[in-house]
Amino acid sequence: MASYRLLEHTADMGIEATAATLEELYTQAAKGLIAIIFEDAGGTALSDRAIELDGSDLADLLVRWLNEILYLIEVEHFLPCRFTLEPIQDHHLRGIVGGFHFDVENVRAEREIKAVTYHRLEVIRQGSDWLARVYVDL
Amino acid sequence: MSVKIERIDACRWRIPREGDMRTEGLVFASEKMIDFLRQEQALEQVRNVATLPGIVGPSIAMPDIHWGYGFPIGGVAAFSEDEGVVSPGGVGYDINCGVRLLRSALTVAEIRPFVQQLADTLFRNIPSGVGSCRQDLKLSSTQELKVLRQGARWAVEHGFGNEEDLLHIEEGGTIAGADPDLISDRALERGRAQLGTLGSGNHFLEVQEVETIHDPAAAEVLGLFPGQMTVTIHTGSRGLGYQVCDDYLRLMQKASQKYGIHLPDRQLCCAPLSSPEGKQYLAAMACAANFAFANRQLITAWVRESFEQVTGKGPGDLRLSVIYDVCHNIAKWEKHPVKGREMTLCVHRKGATRAFPPGHPDTPALYRQIGQPVLIPGDMGRYSYVLVGTQAGYEETFGSTCHGAGRLMSRHAAKRAARGRNIEAELARQGIVIRAAGRATVAEEIPEAYKDVMEVVDVVQQAGIGKIVARLRPVVVIKG
Repeated sequence: MASYRLLEHTADMGIEATAATLEELYTQAAKGLIAIIFEDAGGTALSDRAIELDGSDLADLLVRWLNEILYLIEVEHFLPCRFTLEPIQDHHLRGIVGGFHFDVENVRAEREIKAVTYHRLEVIRQGSDWLARVYVDL
Repeated sequence: MSVKIERIDACRWRIPREGDMRTEGLVFASEKMIDFLRQEQALEQVRNVATLPGIVGPSIAMPDIHWGYGFPIGGVAAFSEDEGVVSPGGVGYDINCGVRLLRSALTVAEIRPFVQQLADTLFRNIPSGVGSCRQDLKLSSTQELKVLRQGARWAVEHGFGNEEDLLHIEEGGTIAGADPDLISDRALERGRAQLGTLGSGNHFLEVQEVETIHDPAAAEVLGLFPGQMTVTIHTGSRGLGYQVCDDYLRLMQKASQKYGIHLPDRQLCCAPLSSPEGKQYLAAMACAANFAFANRQLITAWVRESFEQVTGKGPGDLRLSVIYDVCHNIAKWEKHPVKGREMTLCVHRKGATRAFPPGHPDTPALYRQIGQPVLIPGDMGRYSYVLVGTQAGYEETFGSTCHGAGRLMSRHAAKRAARGRNIEAELARQGIVIRAAGRATVAEEIPEAYKDVMEVVDVVQQAGIGKIVARLRPVVVIKG
C-alpha cells in the first residue's frame, strides 16, 4: 500500500515513501513534504497546475518535483491536495496538481522548508514496490 | 562506516589521512562531544571534504559540528586558487545566514516595564514565520537587482540605517563581484517578497542582557557593560539564497562530471575555482550574500523603529548601534599564511564564523586592537556569547571559529520532550518573553534541543581559536 513516513534527523527532517508505482511514489513524497510544512493541511482542489519536469535520473527527478511543490506553496501560496501524474518514463514527469490558494494569515504553516537536498537521496526498487528517501533542509 | 579518529589534546582530534583523502581532518571537540559525534555522520563528512581537489591544510570541524549536507555544519575548508574547487555544499542553502549584534545605551532594568509591549511590537514590525512580509515594502525587480549588487549599502541608501552601520558588517555589508545576471528568475521571485523577513526555524531576534563580562578591556572597546540591553538578529538570504544553492547544485553536478572530480557524496558537487562554473557560482553566491546583509539591515531599522515606538525615546537616547554582523555560511577569497608563504585561498565556512585576529586589516578599525568580534548564539532559554578572534586561530583555522550551539535532538525528539509542558510559562519564570509564529517552533526549539553553547565556546577558548568577551542572556525572543 502506498504510504509515507517522516524521518528523524538531528537538524532537519526526511521523508520515506513507498508505493507500487513511481507516480504514486512521487505523490506520497509530495504529501510528506506538505505534512512537514502544514502538519494538518487539508482542503479541496479549486484549481489546477500543469507540471512537466525532467531529471538526470529518478532521484534527481524527485528533488525537482518536490522543489516544484515547494515553489507553488512558497511563491504562489498554492497548496496542492490532489495529484494526477502520467506514467513516469525516462526520468520525465508530467501531470496535474490540484489545490487551492491559501491566505498566509489564516492557514498557519508550521515549518519552512529551505530546500530538498541530495543528501542520502534514494529512489529504489524494493521487491515489487518502489522506495524513496529524501531529506529536506529546515 | 566508522571513521578513525585520534586524540591530539584535550580539545583537538585528528582524522588521519587514508583512502581518497588528500589531507587529514582536524576536529575541535571535548571528549563528551566526540562520543556524540561518533553516532552521527558528521565525522564522515569531515573526511569526505578532505578528498576534494586543491584543499589546503586540514578539513576542519568546529565544536558545534553536526550532520549537514555535503560539508558538515561547523565545517571549514580552504582551497587553493589554482587547483582548488568551490562547492555550494560547502556554503549551504542559506547563503550568508549570519548574526548581527546591536548594543544600546539602555539597561535591561530600564526596559523591564515595557517587555511585553516590546515583544508584541517587534513581533508585529518584523515579519517572521512562513509567508509573512511588510506590506509597506514592495521591492520592484529593478530594486531587487540593486540589492543583490549592493547588499546592506542599498538599505542604508534607502534610509534603513546609517554609514556607520556599514563599517561594522563583515565585508562592509557588500561582497564584491556579485552578478545578478547569474540569478534565475525563480530565485528572484522567491526573494522579492522576502527581503526584510526573519524566516522560521532556528532564525530569531532576541533582546538580551549583558549577563557576564569575561574580558573587561575587550568589552569596553565593544561598548558592552553589565546589565546592558543588546539585540541579536539571526537570519539569512531567505528563499533567494536557497534557490541559488539549488540552482547551482544542479550546475555543479554536471561540472563535477565534466572536470572528472570524484565525489564521495552527491551533495559535495563542485567545480574548479578557475572554471566558468566556479566563477559563476561565486558571483551568484555574492548576490545571495548581499541579499542577506540587506535583510539584516532592514530588520535592524525596524528594531530601532520598534524601540522608539515603545519607549518613546529617540535614536540619540537609544543609541542602538551595530557592534558587528558576521556570516555563517559563505565561501570567500582571503589571503592566509601557509607554511611561511602568503596564499590566496577560497575559504569555505559552513556553520562557522570568520574570527580574524587583532591587527588584521579586515578587522574594523575600532576593534583592531582586540580582534574581530565573533557572535555565537546559543538557545532561547540560556545564553549567547560574544568572542573575539585570535592570532592562534588565524594560523590554525584560517581565522575561523564556531557559529552556535548545534542541535542535539531531532525535531520529533524535541517535540516529545516538550509534550505536556508549557514552554512559554517555563521561559516566563526565567524572565524570558517569547513570541513565535509557528506552534511547532516553540516545542522544536526548546533549550535542551541544543548543546549547551557554553561547552562549545569553552572548547574554542581552550583551543585558543577564540577568546570569550561577554555572555548575553535572553529577555525577549521572537521566533519565526
